Amino acid sequence: MPFDPVLETLTRHRGVSAGLVVSESDGIVVEARVRIGERGDRVAALAASLYRKARLSAEAAGLGGVGFLQLEAERGRVFAVGRGDLVLVVVAARDSNVGLIRVEMLGALERLERLA
Amino acid sequence: MRDEIGRLSDELARDPSSLVFVPLGEALRRQGSTDLALKVALRGLERHPYHADGHDLVARIAVDRGELERAHDEWDMALRLAPQHVGAQKGLGFVCFQQGKLAAAEEHLAAAQALDGDDPSIASALRHVREMLAGHSTSDAQGSTVDASSDATEPAPAPSSPSTSSGQAVQSPPSSVTRPAIGEPSTPSSVPMLAEDDPRYLFADLLGTVDGTTLLLGADGLVLAGAYLVEGGQDVAQEVGAALSGVSDEARRATRHLDVGDWSSIVFETEHATVSMAPTAGDNLVLLATTRATPLGLARRLLDRCAARAVAFLGGGR
Repeated sequence: MPFDPVLETLTRHRGVSAGLVVSESDGIVVEARVRIGERGDRVAALAASLYRKARLSAEAAGLGGVGFLQLEAERGRVFAVGRGDLVLVVVAARDSNVGLIRVEMLGALERLERLA
Repeated sequence: MRDEIGRLSDELARDPSSLVFVPLGEALRRQGSTDLALKVALRGLERHPYHADGHDLVARIAVDRGELERAHDEWDMALRLAPQHVGAQKGLGFVCFQQGKLAAAEEHLAAAQALDGDDPSIASALRHVREMLAGHSTSDAQGSTVDASSDATEPAPAPSSPSTSSGQAVQSPPSSVTRPAIGEPSTPSSVPMLAEDDPRYLFADLLGTVDGTTLLLGADGLVLAGAYLVEGGQDVAQEVGAALSGVSDEARRATRHLDVGDWSSIVFETEHATVSMAPTAGDNLVLLATTRATPLGLARRLLDRCAARAVAFLGGGR
């Protein structure tokens, strides 16, 4: 499983409940590490859709391509970073360490690019 | 002069986000290269849209090019951003005088004098304008009209010897600018609105020295407040707002299905900017775009402040 080391590292972080690699175009899970109780397919579809929307909107606004994305809600956070058609998605609790997760995800981009 | 321009150009090339575009543009303007000066100034304003001295520079270049309306707009903007900007007050006094709006010219020059009582050129210009105003009153009392041609022969005051914030002296706009026929004296209502009354500048003071801009978007994606200026001074807030507002619908959908409660913010880093959004009262949306150099934590704090300002604005306060 090509993304296993990346997902394993990410899901070890405090508060992280899911780490997935998703196809942006169809929202299908490529690889996932999901804790019990998380619906991987649902997370994948929604996160891919959000990332795609942000990417298309930023391009339409003349801001160029999108890198790291972070959605914050009352009881959790969703992070996403993409390269090619693949999007790396992390779902975490509100008190997770955003800075650390961001660095890990950006670091994983290279691997994502190789396999995209 | 050439050495100075070369040095400033090198500095700007090393750091395109530097504020050195103001003295460089000014040096080019003095040299007579107004097209190049304008290009430098507009590029600088693209990165620093809320930099009052940048707008002041564009205004002076506009005067050199005989574009009084544009000069007025730029000085007006400089004054909205920095109400204590002496150069902008003097510049507006100059433009109003050139346009025959003596009452408005007097108002701006008086304001400039209150800010800088040591500048003899302001005192001289103000005295001159007041003498002309007194002449107007006499003529009006006698029921006669003002003769535009004879008025135009009067020497122009020297209301515009503005200094940049860097302390560099700036030349007055040339007296070769053609003064149009004298029109009706300005009433106070024709004086440009103050910044706090203009929703385009709702967030300007919150951003401070941060390179960025904030928009308040309605639920329909239309701009309620804020501005998004690009090269040429064009405000593309509506276009940017329309393009980006749809992201909030997707965020709402995602959080609802993921059962993590209501969304409170979304941040995404693009090639040219970091975009942060937060929902605010009544399904409206606050959008903050900052340069990539702005730390994410700072952008997040600014977003919170802008959201609070938006709530006050929508509630009728500020």
